[in-house]
Amino acid sequence: MGSNGIRDRVAIVGMGCTPFTEHWRKSTDDLVLEASTAAATSAGLGYAELDAFWLGTLDSGVSGLTLSKPLKLDYKPVSRLENMCATGSDAFRNACYAVASGAFDTAMAIGVEKLKDSGISGLATGGGGGDGTAAELSAPAMFSLLSPAYAHKYGVAEPELKEVLTRIAWKNHKNGALNPLAQFRKEVPKETIANSPRVAGALGVFDCSGVADGAAAAIIVRAEDAYEYTDQPLFVKALSLTAGPATGASDPGYDYTSFPEVVHCATDAYQQAGIRDPREQLGLAEVHDCFTPTELVLMEDLGFAERGLAWKDVLAGAFDLDGVLPVNPDGGLKSFGHPIGASGLRMLFECWLQLRGQADQRQIDNGRDLALTHNLGGQPGACVSFISVVGTTRD
Amino acid sequence: MSIPKPGPTPVPMSKPFWSATAQGQLVVQRCQGCGTHQHYPRVVCRHCWLTELDWVTCSGDGRVWTYTVVHRPGHPAWEPEVPYVLALVELDEGPRLMTNIVNIAPAEMRVGLAVRAVFDDTADTSLVHFAPVDRPLPTP
Repeated sequence: MGSNGIRDRVAIVGMGCTPFTEHWRKSTDDLVLEASTAAATSAGLGYAELDAFWLGTLDSGVSGLTLSKPLKLDYKPVSRLENMCATGSDAFRNACYAVASGAFDTAMAIGVEKLKDSGISGLATGGGGGDGTAAELSAPAMFSLLSPAYAHKYGVAEPELKEVLTRIAWKNHKNGALNPLAQFRKEVPKETIANSPRVAGALGVFDCSGVADGAAAAIIVRAEDAYEYTDQPLFVKALSLTAGPATGASDPGYDYTSFPEVVHCATDAYQQAGIRDPREQLGLAEVHDCFTPTELVLMEDLGFAERGLAWKDVLAGAFDLDGVLPVNPDGGLKSFGHPIGASGLRMLFECWLQLRGQADQRQIDNGRDLALTHNLGGQPGACVSFISVVGTTRD
Repeated sequence: MSIPKPGPTPVPMSKPFWSATAQGQLVVQRCQGCGTHQHYPRVVCRHCWLTELDWVTCSGDGRVWTYTVVHRPGHPAWEPEVPYVLALVELDEGPRLMTNIVNIAPAEMRVGLAVRAVFDDTADTSLVHFAPVDRPLPTP
């Protein structure tokens, strides 16, 4: 029953990530080529030496041909998959399993999304109509539902909670300002964030992740072969994916102050990785801050803060770049941008840089050698959750 | 020229719900076996998977579980109405609906607010909204 884990069976030996921005002059083909080439090159490999490929994209192409054609991977096994905003992470997960099974020596996981010239400049949202008995909200409205429920349950005044959300956006912009690949590379004053035009509920424009184009890729090999490719591989300690019952908006029982999918996912991932106290053991975490309330709630679901107290930790700076556990040191979805299929692999790219000491101005130096990525797809009450844990040593 | 609001398109499964709103009634499904109420309409009971389901009339009373205020509508037809309140209302019978809260200013919204169903007959299909129980119903 449950998962047997994948600890130390596969390793990442190369990664690449494009800038995330409005790539008006680059196509999906250009982006996958750029990320793939960077990843393969960093592993010292050509495409001919890669055995299998998993491409994650929500809406920028269908089938493995979306990758095989621009990379000219003639007659290689190429799959395309989708798992909402956790798409890139699931591509990585499948590539890891393929190598762990022994079926392939090397595999590439790549995620891409091109949102800006898709005709709607972003993700499609419901346009009304339909049967009319199911809830239909914009993405910011869905996630804004977390705020009143959280404030009510834990007795936080709503203006104070707004301050907490503002600080999360402020922190992620501050981190993004140090990242040459991020979509938004400027610090933003708290007053500007707090007073930005409202979108839904307590959320203003600055509480929402950036809509960007981009791609990111990873090369995976068997753990025992890792040092043949690089002196600094990252070993995969845990991979966990959970899909929830998806009934929160219609059936009683879900309280909108937590993602139960993430709680289950974290339990599984920490067990696989042998983590007892994530706040003390992880060097950094990249989490799915699609909207500021999401990051707040995730701090509790991932065990980084006690239930009902994450808001105090946020205000105290616990998750800042120099905090007890830096969260989203690369700027997160908030300022790195969120090209759906690429985001999960972008999170992993920051772990790749940080744990190998290549993160320049935002380098974290807390002596810890484990990092976590958390990727969420869907909405409160109906989502999938992915967690990976990677580390620098093989136990 | 104003953009017309797209209304619901009832399907066989949900037709009883929309027929009831036209009569000023809020109905949900109830399982003949275990008595569980559910909404949206489904072919099986969410609790025991029995397919024998009745339609029952609700009290129309419920409480706000959480809410949002729409400043940027997902469809241009709602542009003239922003900001408006949407809430997840938990009915006294158990099921939840995402619905408009009318006759209240966004700043007055609270989790736990007691609300009651009201019906909007101005659309082609009569829609169910909710209003605070301690307020006179909005005039049509």
